[in-house]
Amino acid sequence: MDPSEVEFLAEKETVKIIPNFSLDKIYLIGGDLGPFNPGLPVDVPVWLALNLKQRQKCRIVPPEWMDVEKLEEMRELERKENTFTPVPSPYYMELTKLLLNHASDNIPKADEIRTLVKDIWDTRIAKLRLSADSFISQQEAHATLDNLTLMEINTIRTFLLDSLNCMYKLRSNLQPGSSKGKFADY
Amino acid sequence: MEENFLSLDDILLSHERLPIRTEITFPRLGFLEKSSDTQDIAEGTKMELPLWLSKALYERKRRVLSVELPKVYREGWRTVFNADPNVVDLHKMGPYYYSLGSQMLHFDSPENPDIAQTLLQTFIGRFRRTMDSSQNAYNEDTSALVERLDCLEKGLFRSGQSGLNGFQSWEKGQATQLTASSLVLNYRKRKITDIQS
Repeated sequence: MDPSEVEFLAEKETVKIIPNFSLDKIYLIGGDLGPFNPGLPVDVPVWLALNLKQRQKCRIVPPEWMDVEKLEEMRELERKENTFTPVPSPYYMELTKLLLNHASDNIPKADEIRTLVKDIWDTRIAKLRLSADSFISQQEAHATLDNLTLMEINTIRTFLLDSLNCMYKLRSNLQPGSSKGKFADY
Repeated sequence: MEENFLSLDDILLSHERLPIRTEITFPRLGFLEKSSDTQDIAEGTKMELPLWLSKALYERKRRVLSVELPKVYREGWRTVFNADPNVVDLHKMGPYYYSLGSQMLHFDSPENPDIAQTLLQTFIGRFRRTMDSSQNAYNEDTSALVERLDCLEKGLFRSGQSGLNGFQSWEKGQATQLTASSLVLNYRKRKITDIQS
């Protein structure tokens, strides 16, 4: 899976905007998008919010978790715990990148937020690599994947699956005669 | 462990030569062995045959030939691997260390369980270093990191790099930029305006 595909899936999340135009309720296949009145906040999916912002028709309200103190707390919690802590949003990395690229004027302290999210990401990726290493070195059969986001899984997926395949082949050498002639690749 | 018929790595692997000792004579095949000038290959000659031939001719009952283990899989090297797998240059030891080791298990040597165990432990020991180097070397010359890896590990390194590069290029925003394909640039396709004028 491409990171661009993960970003596409992330654009389905809702975010609050404040439009500066008015429009009646629109009925789309995915759901209804409420009537737009200038100055009144409304919930829309991210793809629509970015499009309206680029046409200068709205102002984006940052999500609740995108706040310097909250992110600092999350970062400290992430560093203390050995397992993965609950994330602010299942698509925090993509939303940060999209919102900070297109709407940084609506978000206070954008640079600090970018740094904090990057710190949280680095900590989580380091934990992921550590657990992948212990998974392989102790030849465990399964691992718990609580609180991992799709983007993190995506960066390590090919590597981990290929190495587990290699390990499986090397492990089947330890049982002679059990797998001879059973697996034919077509 | 069976070889994958369609895998290019396995096909190249089967060209590796193994030291063998013939148990019966091979009449009129003396031309295969360059060192002696006899017309037949006598019993008990030591030669080197490629893996595909050794595997086909090997039969426990008829005793056509007996295969000796290459040095990397013997006792001496096995203790080195058990001590510290990261030190060894696996590319020099035969670029197909793991796959050839798995194939050697066909030849029913008494040391088979030890060989299999050593292969597995070496892989596990080197895994951490391969993972770290593949996930952290972005936009650098990786030849120094890769040259000590065996073919299997090189494949893993490549897939780790592709995951990393994909993520980094997405983060920089290059994923959405449209760039001309290298084929188009190389062939310099003529534009319709050039042809018409």
